[in-house]
Formats: sequence, structure tokens, C-alpha cells
Amino acid sequence: MIRPMNPLLTVSMAPHVHCGRTIKGYMRETLLALMPAAIMAGVIFGMDAVRVMALSCAVAVVTEALANRLMKRDLAVDDLSALHTGLLFAFLLPASAPWWLVTVGSAASIFMGKVIFGGLGGNPLCSPLVGWALCRISWPEFMDTNATMLASNLPAPLQQLKSFGLDAVAFIDPASLFMGHQLGGLGAIQVAALLAGGVFLLVRRHISWEIPAAFTAGLLLTAWIYRTIDPATYATPLFHLLAGGSIFGAFFLATDPASSPVGRIPTLLFGLIAGVMVIVIRVYGIYPDGVPFAILLANLFTPLLDRIRPKPFGGPYTLTQEKEDDAICKKCCG
Amino acid sequence: MTNYSFSLLTGDTGPLVKGTRPDCLRIPIHAHKPILASGDQVLSGTKIAEAKADGHGDLHSPLAGTIREVDSFSMRIEVTGNTRTDSETPPGDSGESLSRWLHNLGINVSRFRRAQTLIINAVPPEPGISIYEPLLRDYRKTLELGLDTVERMVEPTKIFLVAAKGNRANAFANCTVMHVAPTYPNGLDQLVIKAVTGRETLPGATPENTVLLSVSDLYLIGRVMETGRPATETVMTIDGQNLLVRIGTPVGFLVAEAGGSVQPGDRVVLGGLMRGIPALNLEQGVGRDSTGLHVVRKGEGLESTDNFCLGCGECERHCPARIMPGMISRCAEFKHFARAETFHVHSCIECGICGYWCKAQRPLLQYIRLAKFEIALLRTATSPAKEPEKEKDSDKCPEKTDD
Repeated sequence: MIRPMNPLLTVSMAPHVHCGRTIKGYMRETLLALMPAAIMAGVIFGMDAVRVMALSCAVAVVTEALANRLMKRDLAVDDLSALHTGLLFAFLLPASAPWWLVTVGSAASIFMGKVIFGGLGGNPLCSPLVGWALCRISWPEFMDTNATMLASNLPAPLQQLKSFGLDAVAFIDPASLFMGHQLGGLGAIQVAALLAGGVFLLVRRHISWEIPAAFTAGLLLTAWIYRTIDPATYATPLFHLLAGGSIFGAFFLATDPASSPVGRIPTLLFGLIAGVMVIVIRVYGIYPDGVPFAILLANLFTPLLDRIRPKPFGGPYTLTQEKEDDAICKKCCG
Repeated sequence: MTNYSFSLLTGDTGPLVKGTRPDCLRIPIHAHKPILASGDQVLSGTKIAEAKADGHGDLHSPLAGTIREVDSFSMRIEVTGNTRTDSETPPGDSGESLSRWLHNLGINVSRFRRAQTLIINAVPPEPGISIYEPLLRDYRKTLELGLDTVERMVEPTKIFLVAAKGNRANAFANCTVMHVAPTYPNGLDQLVIKAVTGRETLPGATPENTVLLSVSDLYLIGRVMETGRPATETVMTIDGQNLLVRIGTPVGFLVAEAGGSVQPGDRVVLGGLMRGIPALNLEQGVGRDSTGLHVVRKGEGLESTDNFCLGCGECERHCPARIMPGMISRCAEFKHFARAETFHVHSCIECGICGYWCKAQRPLLQYIRLAKFEIALLRTATSPAKEPEKEKDSDKCPEKTDD
């Protein structure tokens, strides 16, 4: 039936056109969106920050390559996803992080965050946060962005709020927080640069508006409720939005494709849960910045949220015994 | 191919051109039972095969010649001339005898049951297919005759003409014109039915009391009524031009006529780029359902990969059937076909949009069709004695093969 074979034609299933987007392109543009923040981190924290970012990225790529070799898979580091995870992890670290901490965390992000779940797309949790959580719990003193950066003149708003109360942060100008003049994860606190990157991703449609919007709304709303209850104890919503890694979480961590839900209602709920949890952890938790843990917790809700589905076209249908005789006859006899 | 547009606007197209006569026809007969054998002489209009199942009319030779080869998929006819069979007079009465007469002359009449609502789909099925435009403009008489004939069988109380907003569509007598947004996939039957009746039906089904047919169906019926000769042609858009092409015309001939060429590794797609089926070789003949012809160069278009699903949800966001193509493809990938059903694989209207948007370039529609097919096999395999093979399955429905 396939003769004559010259010229040999390509046969494939529809569709025969494609939007032209690739995984590599997506990763490349996401890395591009992270660049302003990476540059700002270099400007503010100097070579220390560059060292952490370079090491983290290198370790991530090497771990991915080793894991591919171990699992006898094709080498997939050229899709840039390991580089992306490595950079996101570095953004969460203090610029003072020692080399072994960066190495362990970055390797854990790739291995425990991604590879053991089957690789790219299989991770139930945002992979850089897995590495971060491991380091934060195992070596809290080295992960403390305030205690390890005593030489710096920058304020550490969330730590000061936690330890000394609202008065300690009253003098901090939101505009300077916005420009990244604070201590925290070396890239996570570059609010203005991250916002620029986030808008770029939104414009290029690599992320949709639901998660960042719902995350921000949840965060502002919860902070506002606390503020209304007692303005003398709780910080303003704007302070919570600009301090720490809120913007970073909203645009870059919570929007991780594999670990976030898909439909409109699920993504809105997901963002809201994460946003609310940020403030709840900041108010009651032992950790100053609640963003990473809030997103990890919201990730756990993803399979549940993904069950909120619209009715499928034509209603749910299961092929039953008496109907399928007809169906198959139609298919085979024409 | 990033400049692909989903717009269904056809703009002004040229007149309908009659296709050039090829020297050889290869008529697809996979849904038919051949009644003539290799070596038989045929005239233009001689019946060569009978429909095996509902949903098809009988097949006739579009040209005079000699049958050279018959296999289970196609029949090759060497064309020698244009001599025709005598034309028949359409029966004056309506109902059963008219329907039988049309079936005999190649029209699919199984859908013309009595119904209150008759929908004429004038929305282009896919971007780049403008076959309805010249028909609606230049063949009004034929279409009216076709509609009149269909009305005699369906006896509808309401007739709707559904067109894409911005495309030409003048109403027929007693007919309401409805407009839908001119974007793919709004021209697919399921979505047109939904636009008119507000009801969603699974692919392959039409709601009770509703009959849907396309403008080219009307045209072909009108032509059969006008000429009293069998329908042996199909209307196709090739390179922006609309042609009346004889069934069985080899695709290679059509490409050459349009001034194109095919290199090894190219795809010759019958139909539109979103849903079309590629030809196996240049000798494959066009079928009755072919609406267009595209050549996709090697390296262009979707080159599917076995990348893992990224979970980005682009497919789901664009899916008109509100299902999760990504999840279904994961199920199908690992042979969890029954699980694919829990993700509502049967709701898929096979528009191909998921595959268009997939960043991982996964063949999502292929996975979905695989899941549907495997589920159908799974549910029919009642006893292990029955081989669930394609060839054997035709034995299971003798009542269909008899007619």
C-alpha cells in the first residue's frame, strides 16, 4: 500500500503546524527574566553573590548530567532546565553561603526535587524549594540571611519584625525595599528587577496572570486583616509585599509549571492559599520569611485543586459494552 | 511555522475551477466493497463499489477507463476517456425512494433522518480551507436545489445557516443565518451544533431532532439532482484556489498541477493543517472527505518528540472540549488507557489545538486517538477467542455489510 516509495513522504498525525515554542525556549526566556535580578544581586552583594550563583548553576547542571547517566537516559542538560533550577536556588541563599552549602542544596534541588520524581515535569514540589528546605532545616545558622551578613549595613526587615516588633521596621522606607536594599535571599529581594522579569514572562505568556495575581491578593488581604485587627503589632500589607521574597515567589516559584495546577479556578485558589500562608507563617511561624514554605504547602494542594474541573464537552462519558460494538464497527467498516 | 493564523476568514476567493483530468485514478475504497474486478471496463458514472456501512454512499468511477488493480484500500483505474453513463431522472416523490436513489448515486444519506432542526454548516472547517465561499457565491441555484431535496427527506421546521462572522453568507428561503466568531475550531460540527442548539454532543453523535450538513454536501446533492449523475467529485482548496476534484485523483498530480513540487521527507496533507491526514505516497488518490491539500516541507511544522509532559497546561488552557490533553497523553504513554477515560478522553473533538501549543512538542492528538482506539478494543474484546484485529472486526457486523 505504501509503494511507490519515491519520494519517501513523511507521515505523521495532525496537527501539522506548531506554535514554535520549545522547552528550551521557555527556559531561555525564564533565565532572561531572571537576569536583571541576578545583575542587581551582583551589584549589591558583589562577587560573593556571583560566586554563589555560578556555583549553584554549575552544580545543578553537573548533577543533572550525572543523574541522566545513572538512569541511562539521553543527556538532557541542553534544555537549560537544570541551569534554571540552579539559579532559582541560588536566589534563595544569602550571599555569604559557604561553598558546601551551595553544593549540597543545589544537588538536592535537582536530585530530590526533580530527578527522583522522573525528571522535568514530574516534580510534585517546586524543585529549588526542596533544596532550600533541606538546607534551611539542616543548617539554620548558615541559612540565616541576617546573622551571616553582619558586615552589611542593609536592614533585614523580616528578621527585625520577628525579633523586635513593628517599631524596629518603622523607619524602613518601602521605596528602598522595592529597590532591593534589604537582606534576604540574594536574588529574592531584588523586587524591582524581579517585577520587570515577571512582567516580561507575563507579556511573553510563559506564565499566566492568575497565580501571581492571586498570590499577591492573598498576601495583601491577609496582611490587611491583621493590620486592621491591631495596627500596633502587625506590619502594613505593602511592607509584607516588598520585604523578603514575596514577589520572587509570586512570579517565579509559585508559577513552576509542573507543581502548580492548571485550570483557572484551581490556579486562583492555589495562589490564594500560598499568599495567605506567607502571612500566616510570617506572623505565627518560627521562620521570618514564609514564602518558600508557603509555596511548598500550596504545592501539596495541587493534585487536590486539579480535581476542580469544568464539565467536559458533551458531559462525562464511559464507553459501555453495548455501545462499543457500534463504535468499533463504524471505525473499522467505515 | 509561527505565522499560522487561526482565522477562518476566507476573503474573496476566485471561482470554482474544474480539476484537470488525470491519466490515472486511485480511488480509496476502505469503506466500500468493490463490485468490479481488475480488468473491467468502466464508463464515467459506472458504479464500482458499494458502501459497507452507514455514513457513506456508493462509489462510481469519475472517468471512463479500465480497472487495473483492486486491493482492500484502493482501486486503480487507467483513464482512457470521458464517455459517460446515461443520466437518470430523479424520483419525484420524497422520503424512502429519494433517499435510496441518492445513496445509489453516491450521497451519504444515513444522516437524513426526520428532524425538526436542519443546520447548514458554512463555517470553514479549518484555516486555509475556503471551499464554501465560491459555492455560496456562484452556485446558489444548485445549493437551493440541494436544500430543497434535503428538506424533502428531513422535513425540518427550522433551518439554520451557520457562517463565520465576516464571511459571505446569504440566507436561503425560510432559513435563519447565525454567525459564529471566525476562529478555528468554531467550524467543527460539534461546536456548530452547540452554537445553534446550545447542546454539547460527543464527537460522532448529533442530538435528536437535529441534522447537520455542510455547504459542499448541499452542492453535491444539488448537482446530483440537476444532472441525474452520480457524485464523483469533491471540492478542495489547493494553494488558495478552489477546485472541483475527481475522487481518486492522485495527490502528486494535484501538487504538480498547482505548480508545486514534493521533496523526500515532505508531508502532503489531505485536508487542513490542524486535522488533515498525510498521504502515504504521491499516488494516493483524494477521497470524498478531502477538503484541501497542503505540502509541509521537511523540518517545518510539528515534529513530534517523546519529551515528557512539562505540566505547563497550555493544552488545557486552549482546549475547546475542556479536557486535560496533557494528562490523557501521560496515561496513553504508559498504557493506562482506562485511566484516560476518567480524564474524559471521549469528549475530545480532535481539533489538534493541544498539539499546536505543546511546548514539549508531544503528539498529543495521537496519544488521545490511541487511547480512544485502545479503549474501544478493550471494551469489545469480550472473549479471548475473538481476535481484536481490524480485518476481523468487519465480521462482527454482518447486518451492516449486507446492504
